[in-house]
Amino acid sequence: MILNIKHQTNYNFSSCVPRLVQSLRLYPSKCKNQKVINWNISTSIGQLTESHQDALGHKIYNIYNESLVGKQTIVSEGTIDTKDFQGVMHGLEDQLNPFCFLRFTELTRPGDKINELSRKIIKKNNEIKFCHDLNIIVYETINFKTGVTNNQTTAEESLKLKKGVCQDYAHILISLSKIFSIPARYVNGYLRDDNHINNYSSHAWVELFIKELGWVAFDPSHKKCIDENYVRISCGYDFIDASPIKGVKLNYPGGEHLNFKIDINIQQ
Amino acid sequence: MFNEVINKSNIRMPYNKVFNWAEALPKNIILKKQIQAENLFKKIGVTFSVYNNYDVSERLIPFDMFPRILSSMEWMKIEKGIKQRSIAINAFLNDVYHRAEIIKAKVIPDKLIYNNPAYDIRMVGFNVPKNIYSPIIGTDIIRTNEINFNVLEDNCRTPSGVSYMIENREIMMRMFPELFESLNIEAVDSYPSHLVDILKSLAPKKCKSDPKIVILTPGHLNSAYYEHSFLADLMGVELVQGSDLFVNNNITYMKTTEGPKKIDIIYRRIDDEYLDPLYYKNDSLLGVPGVIDSYKTENVNICSAPGAGLADDKAIYTFMPDIIKFYLGEEPILKNIKTWRCYDKKEFKYVINNLEKLVIKEVHGSGGYGMLIGSKASKKELNIFKNKIKKAPDNFIAQPILELSTVPIFDKASLSERHVDLRPFSLIGHKKFKLVNGALTRVALKKNSLIVNSSQGGGVKDTWVLAD
Amino acid sequence: MLSRTAENLYWTARYLERADSIVRLLEVAYRISLVPNTKEGYDNEWESILSTSGTKNEYLSVYKEIKKEKIELFLLFDDSNSSSVKNCITKARDNIKMVRTAVTLEVWNAVNSFFYNYYDLTKKKYLSKDLPEIIDLVKRNVNLIKGTIINTQLLNDGFDFLILGNYFERADFTARIIDVKYFILLPSTSLIGTQIDNFQWSLMLRSVSSYRAFKWAYGNSEIDYIKIIDFLILNSKCPRSLFFSVEKINYHLKRLKKHYKENKNFSSKIEGLFRKLKKLSVNDILDEGLHEFLSNFIKDISSVYSDLEKKYFLGS
Repeated sequence: MILNIKHQTNYNFSSCVPRLVQSLRLYPSKCKNQKVINWNISTSIGQLTESHQDALGHKIYNIYNESLVGKQTIVSEGTIDTKDFQGVMHGLEDQLNPFCFLRFTELTRPGDKINELSRKIIKKNNEIKFCHDLNIIVYETINFKTGVTNNQTTAEESLKLKKGVCQDYAHILISLSKIFSIPARYVNGYLRDDNHINNYSSHAWVELFIKELGWVAFDPSHKKCIDENYVRISCGYDFIDASPIKGVKLNYPGGEHLNFKIDINIQQ
Repeated sequence: MFNEVINKSNIRMPYNKVFNWAEALPKNIILKKQIQAENLFKKIGVTFSVYNNYDVSERLIPFDMFPRILSSMEWMKIEKGIKQRSIAINAFLNDVYHRAEIIKAKVIPDKLIYNNPAYDIRMVGFNVPKNIYSPIIGTDIIRTNEINFNVLEDNCRTPSGVSYMIENREIMMRMFPELFESLNIEAVDSYPSHLVDILKSLAPKKCKSDPKIVILTPGHLNSAYYEHSFLADLMGVELVQGSDLFVNNNITYMKTTEGPKKIDIIYRRIDDEYLDPLYYKNDSLLGVPGVIDSYKTENVNICSAPGAGLADDKAIYTFMPDIIKFYLGEEPILKNIKTWRCYDKKEFKYVINNLEKLVIKEVHGSGGYGMLIGSKASKKELNIFKNKIKKAPDNFIAQPILELSTVPIFDKASLSERHVDLRPFSLIGHKKFKLVNGALTRVALKKNSLIVNSSQGGGVKDTWVLAD
Repeated sequence: MLSRTAENLYWTARYLERADSIVRLLEVAYRISLVPNTKEGYDNEWESILSTSGTKNEYLSVYKEIKKEKIELFLLFDDSNSSSVKNCITKARDNIKMVRTAVTLEVWNAVNSFFYNYYDLTKKKYLSKDLPEIIDLVKRNVNLIKGTIINTQLLNDGFDFLILGNYFERADFTARIIDVKYFILLPSTSLIGTQIDNFQWSLMLRSVSSYRAFKWAYGNSEIDYIKIIDFLILNSKCPRSLFFSVEKINYHLKRLKKHYKENKNFSSKIEGLFRKLKKLSVNDILDEGLHEFLSNFIKDISSVYSDLEKKYFLGS
């Protein structure tokens, strides 16, 4: 399916930022599940520089700014051709041994609740089936609700609440999988979703490593594997690690306002 | 226990002259010289900071005037052994961040590498300049008998103490010039210029002129700040903090009174996670945002490389003999200490049943913290550690309680035996290896104590290598 | 030179000068307390010390009442007072410690032992009777450090930044001392020629350690406000005068320009100030209004500092 995507991020800095470096992981992942037809990243202000391709396959761009004040708009847009492989990822330019993704982070470290949940799960020998089980368990345990969690909520905390958004579903699935020694990682991307009322189409899901298949992408907030409606952008240990834009402001006391808008439509 | 000075009631060769000299020193002279030494240290300002004690946060490391002496034969063996180890360590790091042959060959279990927090996944596939990850290695060595020198620990990240090696010598030469006239003692003061040499050989690919080096320090509250400024001074390079550097379009600059100056090599004395807030700790102001991009685009070199600390992880240490064999096809010249790995079921059982005979170490601890000496621990402490090990066996290793060799110190003007270790600092660059003929000797000041760390009350001695 | 190094050197000197200024203020107050029957003027004097050192609000938020012992303690040792002598010395040492290798061993030793000597004082309870001794210790040490700088430092850019820190602080401080008491220097007051006036004027001179110097400069003639204004603002020989500080700042900024082979004229603002002061007479100042003049001066100096900061300390 050919998708046109425009992802616009707007910043508003209330006072002058002496020096700002932003690191962007906004370029869609290279793999057989999606083919980039054209893609462009731009910023309304500052110097955009291509940096390097990292071990996870991200094509990293940086924006450098001096004495920045007021509005900044970062646009990442292009056309991409997606294919449905039932979630199995093919041809990722990822150089890491999957066992690197057995480590826990602050956001995914299991506590009593997650351990308790894991004890109720019966492990299957068939890894594929078992991963689907885990995905369904997370889907059924958590109720989708916005506004109750934020970007610092840990997997353990959101399980306690039994509520959350895609990011919380993902963190819990990652935490559970690692308990069963299945390598797991957090993925950021876009989802074309006609049923969603919100124009909110930035999405997060999880890749689990299955020996026979390699990395397989599960979406615990939709109880399925990803298909041609998904576009993969960045991955990492958790939400913070995988975030598509990271910025560091030096000596900046002022405020920062952020909003973003994503448009996805099918090219006819 | 091996006494380095007196063996079977004979004075050992290297100590022949010095021991007689020390015994003949009148008490009042010893006391006077001790005060003189302390004043000299204070005057130069050689201090180290102690954490959690902001008010008077600086202390002198106690210095003992009785020198540690090694014969040239003994030193040759140490040098060979350290060179072998340094080469193997860098080959190992290059391998695990690329093809990982050593894991494929099942010499080291994959879990130990890939699940290790010191294994930096961002370094995978990146070619560091000249394949040198850890150009400066401090090797902790203990002596157990006439012939055996064993490695206790490799320090591959930011080993400190080299300033004491040089300053201790400076002070001994000022106080006892007559000893230096009558004995043939190898000099150590060339270390800083060798360090410059080694670092320059590791210039990044895009550096086309004489490489500009800086030392990156976390700041003057760091315990080793004195050493950072000492080295910068003797190397003739700038000592910078994170805020003195910035990155623009992948190039690293230093802020100067004459505007931005491009930097080629960062000898960093801050830990990996503080290097770049864009990649590691996001709330840290110690680092330089964008410096990893500058590094990855080959505009700047960071020494040691991020992720080099994997090689001094205590769990990896136990495999060092295998690592040397795997990459060099040689037997290790310096042996490891016998070590039990608690993640191995059989060894775990032995450790749990023999705690009182062992030293237990946390795999990721350093500086003598997170350590238990079984023979000196109370029942309660033993039980606490037993539970800790049972809970996370992967996090612990155990070693026999070591008989560190002894050298006397001046204890209130009379000589008295104390345990010592040895830390030489080796330098490895592009087709270059250098070990100055000297080292830091750390000494436990309490009688019978085996803990030599300065953060826990240890002192230092000047270390002499005799020329032929 | 690293920008931070320049900045650290500048602030080392600036904090040392500030410590020195504060004990000079205390010395004046101490002198007043020795003079009987000045109850009224006494409180005023203590208050103006707080104003001059810029710490009045800080003080009142902690202590509520103006009291001699408390002010002494506040100015000498209080950690919560950012300009206490203790904090100045600590900051001076912190700054120089960060650039240890940019100064000679002698300079480092002088600052370091000053820090330890002063630190020893904090270990025992402070008694008012110790004040003269403490004042003496601080003055002696600061002079020792300055002498050591002049005698041992290489006359490179680092030297210029040290001297600049010293004179920026002094210019600012002297201007503030005069400004806090400007009314006693105005010709319109009815107290002219009275005992009180004379006493106030001599105090002002003492607070910048220039009482004797004044006598040297103007002989035995009577003190009057014209002479004092001339002496503290325009005199080129008085090391505490505004003109003197401006001349030094101008000179060292020019040296930096030469050192860095810069084409652009950075020091135009200071050059202007220097020329203006050179031509000025006491009457010009009184015409402008003494308070106005001083406010403008303080503004000008701080804008020269902003330029200096932007150019050399921010480094990009």
